[in-house]
Amino acid sequence: MGILLFISVLLVAACGLIYELVAGTLASYLVGDSVFQFSTIIGTYLFAMGIGSALSRYINRGLVHRFVWIELLLGVIGGFSSALLMLAFAFTQGFELILYALVIVIGVLVGLEIPLLMRIVRDRYRFRDVIAHVLTFDYLGALGASLLFPILFVPRLGLVRSAMLFGLINAGVALWSTFLFANQLSEARGLRIACFVVLCGLGAGMAGAKQITATAEDNIYADEIIFARDTHYQHLVLTRFKDDLRLFLNSHLQFSSRDEYRYHEALVHPGLAAVPFPRRVLILGGGDGLALREILKYAQVQSITLVDLDPEMTRLFSSHPMLIKLNDKSLLSPRVHVINADAFPWVDLNGDSFDFIVIDFPDPTNYSLGKLYTTAFYRAVARHLSVQGLMVVQSTSPMFARDSFWCIVQTLKQAGLQTYPYHVYVPSFGEWGFVLAATHGYTSPTSLPSGLRFINIDGLPTLFQFPPDMAPLPMPPNQLNNQVLVRTYENDWKDITH
Amino acid sequence: MKLGRRKFLGLGSAALVGLSLKSERKIEGSFVNDSFQTGHLLRDRTSFPAAKRTEKFPVVIVGGGIAGLSAAWRLRKRGFSDFVLLEMNAQPGGNARWGENEITVYPWAAHYVPVPGPKAEYVRELFADLGVLKNGQWEERYLAFSPQERLFLYGRWQEGIEPAVGLKQTDRDQFQRVENVFNNFRKSGSFTVPLELGLSPKFQALDRLSFSDWLRQQGFDSRLLHWYMNYACRDDYGALASDTSAWAGIHYFSSREPEEKGPLTWPEGNGWITRRLLERVGRNIRDSQMVHRIIQTRRGVSVFAGETEFQAEFVIFAAPTFLAPYLLENFPRLRDFVYSPWLTANLTLDRYPDSRGAEPSWDTVFFDSPALGYVDAMHQSLRTHVDRTVWTFYWALAEGAPSRNRQLLLEKEWTYWKEAILHDLERVHSDICQCVSRIEVMRMGHAMVRPAVGSIFSEERHRLTRLNDRIFFANSDLSGISIFEEAQYRGVVAAQKVLSKLHGHR
Repeated sequence: MGILLFISVLLVAACGLIYELVAGTLASYLVGDSVFQFSTIIGTYLFAMGIGSALSRYINRGLVHRFVWIELLLGVIGGFSSALLMLAFAFTQGFELILYALVIVIGVLVGLEIPLLMRIVRDRYRFRDVIAHVLTFDYLGALGASLLFPILFVPRLGLVRSAMLFGLINAGVALWSTFLFANQLSEARGLRIACFVVLCGLGAGMAGAKQITATAEDNIYADEIIFARDTHYQHLVLTRFKDDLRLFLNSHLQFSSRDEYRYHEALVHPGLAAVPFPRRVLILGGGDGLALREILKYAQVQSITLVDLDPEMTRLFSSHPMLIKLNDKSLLSPRVHVINADAFPWVDLNGDSFDFIVIDFPDPTNYSLGKLYTTAFYRAVARHLSVQGLMVVQSTSPMFARDSFWCIVQTLKQAGLQTYPYHVYVPSFGEWGFVLAATHGYTSPTSLPSGLRFINIDGLPTLFQFPPDMAPLPMPPNQLNNQVLVRTYENDWKDITH
Repeated sequence: MKLGRRKFLGLGSAALVGLSLKSERKIEGSFVNDSFQTGHLLRDRTSFPAAKRTEKFPVVIVGGGIAGLSAAWRLRKRGFSDFVLLEMNAQPGGNARWGENEITVYPWAAHYVPVPGPKAEYVRELFADLGVLKNGQWEERYLAFSPQERLFLYGRWQEGIEPAVGLKQTDRDQFQRVENVFNNFRKSGSFTVPLELGLSPKFQALDRLSFSDWLRQQGFDSRLLHWYMNYACRDDYGALASDTSAWAGIHYFSSREPEEKGPLTWPEGNGWITRRLLERVGRNIRDSQMVHRIIQTRRGVSVFAGETEFQAEFVIFAAPTFLAPYLLENFPRLRDFVYSPWLTANLTLDRYPDSRGAEPSWDTVFFDSPALGYVDAMHQSLRTHVDRTVWTFYWALAEGAPSRNRQLLLEKEWTYWKEAILHDLERVHSDICQCVSRIEVMRMGHAMVRPAVGSIFSEERHRLTRLNDRIFFANSDLSGISIFEEAQYRGVVAAQKVLSKLHGHR
């Protein structure tokens, strides 16, 4: 009997630790800042265990009976804790409240376990043996749990099912205890039925866990996910809510179909309409084909080269029914040549010249993307400009990332280009900025393609005016060997989110 | 703290479990570019075949490292192309050799050149020639990209190699004070690159004690400061600060303006310069030609390589100087030339390992490692997406006597070095063994001349630089420190001496 008893101590300890790890991990995943999450959760949990231990002195009679109920409660609460937290995050405002309430309840119950167990077995062993054995197995269980949690359970089962599995173990220990300590129980049948019910409930939970996770994730992304894929280069998610399609790359919003026309008309027309005889156009980035759609409105343009890193991206936007409706099958036009390549080396090796160049990369969130916003890159691109050619650069928000925006302007200047910064309002993005750059000046266009919904000739000059809160700032140019833009961009956004 | 201990145990054992899993992946590799076999033929005075052919050249250059290639560059640039350069290895370049695999080119030894100051006239001329310096501007894509250097210490990363975290006030004061001391030495104008242009007897006393003794004499006792100074000596000289002349230690810190730009570098390190030089002088090079004897005759110099006798009017001896007693007749034994043994390894990585949240940098150093860290060949890539890469791992065997370490290089098998390298990396990148698929190791018994105490002002060394008859020495060994600029300077100077002699003759 001794070893069986201590194995249940081991299992109980493992369960306790797992619930704590589940709470910490989930909070880190969902809210971020893992140091804060783990610290506060461990602290709260330990404190609650202390409360549990203190409360144990008030339990005087029916120790085994109470112990079994505590195990069952833990099985239910702990087992469903992960699912409950995910749903709480997805559907309520009170995630933190529920998180810490759960941690406290579980902590109190876990704090009760060991003192009760020690008292249950105290008549069978000497006091010092009870302490030694119970604590040894308690620590062993914790060790096993903390090892298996990251190595086995999280990767194999996921958080929701890991918690349920340990709920099952708690309930199993409860059932087992009714046999192990049968002689100390006045009535076992009712308890066993309760155990059976809990075990069935958790078993059903295990089976339905996928559904729970999916429900929660759907709601975390707010809208129905119609496409999600980890390509070789990025995590690509497409969502839809009624008529609004949204594309996220590495969780950064790329466009919303409701207002993307504002962004793409602003990106293309102020520049392209000002080029006297545009024949050849280059797009760097822009695998969604939306800038392309705008460019195809110019009949004089004979050929458009689109260079995008990710073949899955251009394939998706050439084939998905909703997306080809959005980009007017632009990627399938015979005037278009799609090249899947890394932009900088491609620009370096290619020798063609273009009348209009669109540079539409994701924001400079890391040092890799930062390379595509350097003087070296702009110099390399400028070599492809025909004499009267123009290039336009998507340049983040002059409102939210004002330093970054003007840093890009300064970088283009340093690369020997004349710059013409402008901005527009895109509801899903906020105030957004672009920079036109040229070697031989820029004059506003006198006509625009018909059928535009946002850009018009009369409004054009106003786009080039910057109110005081977005006005130019002196910034150093971004270079490969300093990457000031990435650091600036990080600070700009930190200022807003904190 | 009950759970504190629980977690601690958990993490420790997780690390152990991790280690046991890692050994499963097979890592290939071998020693490469071994050259000691040929070198030992000379040492052991093996008899070589008699010459069957003769060829005549006004000038023969022995050795195709940076010194020899620079001499060749200068000769051709001055319109003189009637010369031959004899290189022992199949691949010229010496300490500026490079390798290439399916992922990238990578360096085998020297991997950067600090932005040259105004005194390094010949380096600036070369760089203007190679398009590195254009209209007074350094080409951006050849400057080390940001982030450049990172140091792992006390379980965390910092930018830059000079320790900046965990410093006590006394450490900070000493770093500040030593910087001021170096600034004053810099202002004296006696610590220059090339070294010869500033060398002044005023500071000869500094060549008579070791760098670490000098630091202690000046009251510097900070452990972090000593680590950093020692790292600099190991990195540039392959020697501990206690085996380095104080003059040379000071030169490292006082010979260049503090530069924010970062050094000039290329994916293949200084191999890029070698490649550009080969484009210019490759036609004059004969590789795999081991010179085994050089004798002065009445009319000139005969250089014997393989079964050919090259008859020359002048010879530029650009091979490492320690070979001279084995090649030249009646050449006195050298006393003041000590060489540091090195080991470099190129690791092929199928993915980047976990860096505990740090951005991949160009140069990575671990505090308190016996090795020097590693350089990422793909860091200078212009691509935005990089999966696979090659790391060049540097290890100067500085601890202990050079001869003993050379013995170690010869005795230990590849597996020994592989394990040692992975062990060093594993302390920081716990999953490194899952990322590496190949490790090639290059052993260099005499990798670089060591600026030992007394060597900078050594009379023996200066005598060799003054030779002005038919054989001209040209190697960074003559400067006493093994850096690109010195090798290039010695090569160019020797070429100019030969050119003026030739003009005198005709």
